[in-house]
Amino acid sequence: MQCHRQTRREWLLKTSAAAGAWLAGPSLTRAAAPTSRVAVARCRTYDQAELLPVMQKMFDQLGGLGKLVKGKTVAIKINLTGSPTYRLGYLPLEDTHYTHPQVIAVAAHLMGKAGARRIRILESPMSTAEPIEEYVLCANWEPRDILGAAPNVEFENTNYLGQGKKYVRLTVPYGGYTFPAFDLNHSYQDCDVFVSIAKMKEHFTAGITLSMKNCFGITPCTIYGSGAGIDEPSATPKGGRTPVVHAGNRQPSKSAPPEKDPASPRQDTYRVPRTVVDLNGARPVHLAIVEGIKTMTGGEGPWIHEELAGVAPGVIFAGLNAVTTDAVGMALMGFDPMADRGTPPFERCDSTLKLAEEAGLGTRDLSRIEVIGTPIKEVRFDFAAIRKKRRAVAPPPIGVRG
Amino acid sequence: MEAQWTPMRWPSAWKDPNAVNLLQGTGIDCLVIGAGDDLAPVRSRAREAGLHVADLAAPPAGVAVVKGEWPGVKTGRNEGQTQTGPTGVPWVDSNGWAIRLARAEQPEAQVWVDAPPAANAVIAADSYLIAMADSAAYGGRWIISLDNALAAAMDAQKPEAEKPWARVKETAAFFAAHQAWREYAPFAVLGVISDFSGANEFFSRELLNLLARAGQHCRVLLKREPCATDGLRALLYADAEPLTPALRKQILDFVEGGGLLITHQWPAPLERELPAPVDGFSMFAVGKGKIAISKEPPTDPYAWANDSVILVSHRYDLVRFWNGGAAASYYTVSPDRRRAVVHLLFYSYRGPDAATVRIVGRYRAVRVATVDSPQVAGVQMEARKDAVEIHLPQVSQYVALQLEA
Repeated sequence: MQCHRQTRREWLLKTSAAAGAWLAGPSLTRAAAPTSRVAVARCRTYDQAELLPVMQKMFDQLGGLGKLVKGKTVAIKINLTGSPTYRLGYLPLEDTHYTHPQVIAVAAHLMGKAGARRIRILESPMSTAEPIEEYVLCANWEPRDILGAAPNVEFENTNYLGQGKKYVRLTVPYGGYTFPAFDLNHSYQDCDVFVSIAKMKEHFTAGITLSMKNCFGITPCTIYGSGAGIDEPSATPKGGRTPVVHAGNRQPSKSAPPEKDPASPRQDTYRVPRTVVDLNGARPVHLAIVEGIKTMTGGEGPWIHEELAGVAPGVIFAGLNAVTTDAVGMALMGFDPMADRGTPPFERCDSTLKLAEEAGLGTRDLSRIEVIGTPIKEVRFDFAAIRKKRRAVAPPPIGVRG
Repeated sequence: MEAQWTPMRWPSAWKDPNAVNLLQGTGIDCLVIGAGDDLAPVRSRAREAGLHVADLAAPPAGVAVVKGEWPGVKTGRNEGQTQTGPTGVPWVDSNGWAIRLARAEQPEAQVWVDAPPAANAVIAADSYLIAMADSAAYGGRWIISLDNALAAAMDAQKPEAEKPWARVKETAAFFAAHQAWREYAPFAVLGVISDFSGANEFFSRELLNLLARAGQHCRVLLKREPCATDGLRALLYADAEPLTPALRKQILDFVEGGGLLITHQWPAPLERELPAPVDGFSMFAVGKGKIAISKEPPTDPYAWANDSVILVSHRYDLVRFWNGGAAASYYTVSPDRRRAVVHLLFYSYRGPDAATVRIVGRYRAVRVATVDSPQVAGVQMEARKDAVEIHLPQVSQYVALQLEA
């Protein structure tokens, strides 16, 4: 357990920093940002025999899944970033940058066992309205492994209207850094419990991608994509979110709330972290699960122009607050969750965690987070050291991967 | 019986008959020579050298000529800028579908593709490889047509001509050495039924083109003939005309036996509606199979091609690529079904560096050939359930996977 009492000096430092942050934007004091325990576990393989008891124990350590999901509709946002036809070398996508299907299946199974009424697996896959079942087949997954993991499991592609009659509007309670509200697929409202199952990775634009950054993909590209309709959402998603979200050189469809301040910086390293926090404010995560059993170093996917490598940190962690979970995740990656812009992994971007903390979503201060299960130091996989070594040399030439 | 020539268009600037000697020892055995009298000595010299001489205005017996596109990733008006389709995937021009249609219409004929480079084009050596392989993989032959700059450089014996000409020669020799592959039958999941003519010509032909681009392996089924549906999972009928009673019965037998029909019309009411995986179609159960009826008349072959892939399901993809880029494949099996050749075409400016290909079927061995290498080293094959996954090292833009059951 890593819960520490604060000294008066620490308290003063934190409250003064928080006061400064309050002047700069939508902010609560750091001390006021809520905390929540995070369960950490060693897990070396995706074999069900190992994974299932590990995840069951983690959920028990968080108070049990029954309290959270019994009789409820659960929506699970997974991470299927990039095209399913794009691998890091010959490695399966789930061993590098996709949430592993076994983790999804075990989570669904345990939720079903705990009494979930309905489980909906959500993702907005790249530039397509095709069913998720079809999308994952292209990644070589068997969707039935997930659909059969519990009763009433279904997929929905949330990159467009999908099964809904209209888009739902979710408002950012603190007003938002970039967007005051988002128009989303109905699935993000038609649920009692929202779960983010993410992959533990670095991220080119946002430094790291964990449970919060995973929610970047809840935005439908029919409204927030490069092919979005100008006035109304397009019927099908086309293109990515770069023009609307990363670069801000166009607004979402006029039917959706525009960004708050078109005069704000247009840099992706400013906008993406803020938009991620806004999305987490609008659609809070009830259960954050991050798996780093196998993953990759160097970025969020094989298209990143860095020295990339598949790695096996052998760790999985979960929490009831996305910010505290991601703070522990950063520590597990060898990074300081208190890091700010200019410090790894936020050398050139703002810290999503800091912004989230200042918005009052959760604390990133490890001294305020109870870590249960395997101690961080026993399962830390030093992404930070690999990053430092990698960045000491020039990146490799770009290959032709797809 | 198919003529088995490898044709080359004689560059009009080559007036010296001795230039025929350049073709000695290559797989090129047929010259397409313009009609002018000034080329009469060339024609004579070619015949003396044992080459067949042809005229496109009156192709040789047994040859069907189709007008094609220059194959490859389409570039935009700005030099070197790649054009992309609505999904962001590079737009690829290929003549494979046209060859397959021509072979279905004239099974005894050899299909030549007439797609010369643009007048001012300067073609890279590997683009010649793609141009030739894009036809030969599908059992046709591209009429080798040198760009003007290369023809002039060869005429002047300039060193810059060596690399592209060597590429042309080795590619011609490769396919000339594998004539037997043309006897292999295409493996498909979808049969496209049409007369491919008249009012249906644009839609049906473009559909074949776009299905290939979407990676769906299809069989061309001519409406005038009984449909060979063996091994297929689905049929697609989008012609304007209603189904004839005979064709309707054939299709109904196929559907009731467990197949899928994708169409915009069905002459009888359908009652047992099922959820459809795409918005543009309604799905109905019929016997052991299903009929997917489009909600709108067929006007957009792009939408139909992409919907077809989902209606049939990626579960039944015969070939899947990873890291293949702008790739296409043509899966053929030997008459005894003990061997298969899967032709892989990578249309980017160079071949992939770490591609993986999943091939449906139970195979125990694979030999990977390119025009540079009869047996590529460093290939790994992994057995999967009812499939194999083949990891390729850096390869050129055309690869032949020779699989043994």
